[in-house]
Amino acid sequence: MRHITSIASRELQSLFVSPVAYAVLTLFAVLAGFFFLSSVLQFNEYVMRIQQFQAFDRLQEVNLNDYVLSPFLGTMSVVLLFLIPGITMGLFTAEKSNGTDELLLTSPLTIWDIVFGKFLAAALFVLILVLLLGLFPGILFFYGDPEIGKTGAGMLALLLVGLVYAAVGTFASSVTRSQVIAFFLSFVLLLLLWLLSILADLGAAGGALGTDTWIAGFLRYVSTAEHFERLQKGLIETSDLAYFGLVIGSSLLLTKAAVESTRWR
Amino acid sequence: MIEARELSKRYGEILAVDHFSFVVTQGEVVGFLGPNGAGKTTTMRMLTGFLPPTDGGVEIAGHDMLLDPLAARRAVGYLPETPPLYPEMDVAGYLLYVARLKDVPRSRRREAVDRALERCGLTAVRRRVIGALSKGFRQRVGLAQAIVHSPPVLILDEPTVGLDPTQIREIRGLIRDLAAPKDGEPQHTVILSTHILPEVEAICPRVILIHQGRKVVDAPLSQLTAGGRSLEEIFARETGRDVVAEEGAA
Repeated sequence: MRHITSIASRELQSLFVSPVAYAVLTLFAVLAGFFFLSSVLQFNEYVMRIQQFQAFDRLQEVNLNDYVLSPFLGTMSVVLLFLIPGITMGLFTAEKSNGTDELLLTSPLTIWDIVFGKFLAAALFVLILVLLLGLFPGILFFYGDPEIGKTGAGMLALLLVGLVYAAVGTFASSVTRSQVIAFFLSFVLLLLLWLLSILADLGAAGGALGTDTWIAGFLRYVSTAEHFERLQKGLIETSDLAYFGLVIGSSLLLTKAAVESTRWR
Repeated sequence: MIEARELSKRYGEILAVDHFSFVVTQGEVVGFLGPNGAGKTTTMRMLTGFLPPTDGGVEIAGHDMLLDPLAARRAVGYLPETPPLYPEMDVAGYLLYVARLKDVPRSRRREAVDRALERCGLTAVRRRVIGALSKGFRQRVGLAQAIVHSPPVLILDEPTVGLDPTQIREIRGLIRDLAAPKDGEPQHTVILSTHILPEVEAICPRVILIHQGRKVVDAPLSQLTAGGRSLEEIFARETGRDVVAEEGAA
């Protein structure tokens, strides 16, 4: 445990003395501001339109959670898909190019110490990003009254998705010596994981997979998007939480295997 | 202190190290010699537990590297061919981190770092960022990280490569110091690899020569050079190569 925190804190320090962390934080803040503003403006325009047509019954169902926060958090989950691989790409690749993997692997550490330490650093960075994002719903609470439970569920969904990104990124950085390859590998893996449910939808539409076959069900379960959306709606279910745990766990298991295999080559 | 039993390492078809055995007792300084590509680095990596041997075993300070890897690794200080440094860290911060990795208890960490800094002549640059240091200083930081936890065994892979003559002399003096008995007790046991022959003559009372993965010489230096032969001649005879070009690097 002591070793895990040593490795994680060194990793975070390195991130924050290099420009990478600041670049990611800045880009993230700019994009978040942009998308938040556009969601708010869109909401405003929608409400105006309803009033023009005097469709007051529609006004009943319009709310900040479904019309501002949901689309906003959905967009941010895609933004994170681009940014987090930028943070995780250096986790193991930098050790290999510095030659410091030789220090880590000849120190009295287990490989799990190293893997958890690296993941913990990335996870804490994700937490910082999500907390930063918490400012925006905060603004909504100041000027309006979104539902607190649903907002919390949305933030939790984003955090869990971010942790999945971090775990997959950790794995990608453990299998290569190149930061660029690590970046694209994690990006592609995450994109595929996110979009698998589309295959299920298309298959169902064309009749190739059917709607209720086990393949369609499997694709939907594996896809991050499905679980993210369900959580976002405020449905916190064990099966969804288990999904995130499962993906993070198996990514870290693969990372451990990858680090171990460098020894046997 | 260090025991290698029938160490072998195979990379695909190539047998890089071939049934290599030796024992080094406490306080000895052993020069590990061989032409480039003879298997020096591979052997050292197996001794430190970085690479698992294909066959055979290693015992460090009584701990088997395969059965009790954590205890065995705790007993080793290792300077790889490229010092394992984080360019963005400062010298003292880096050594403190290494001390934590090597299980130096919290209460003794500051002291351990200060002592390593002092022994390696780094006190003046303790707050400097490693990436901004000269090569000689970086090599010394590498050495400091190997000794920060006062391991009984030191394994140094070409500790003086790329240094200028003054720095080489300083590092050699330091290595001699590390092995010199203190209060009548033998201190660190050192294995250092090099292909610079005068280095061996300067600091290593015992020589192990490796050629094509096999041990070809293992004897005290005094015995080897007793017949009036130079180490250079022995090296040339045993490895069947002209060494003049390589010695030029020294």
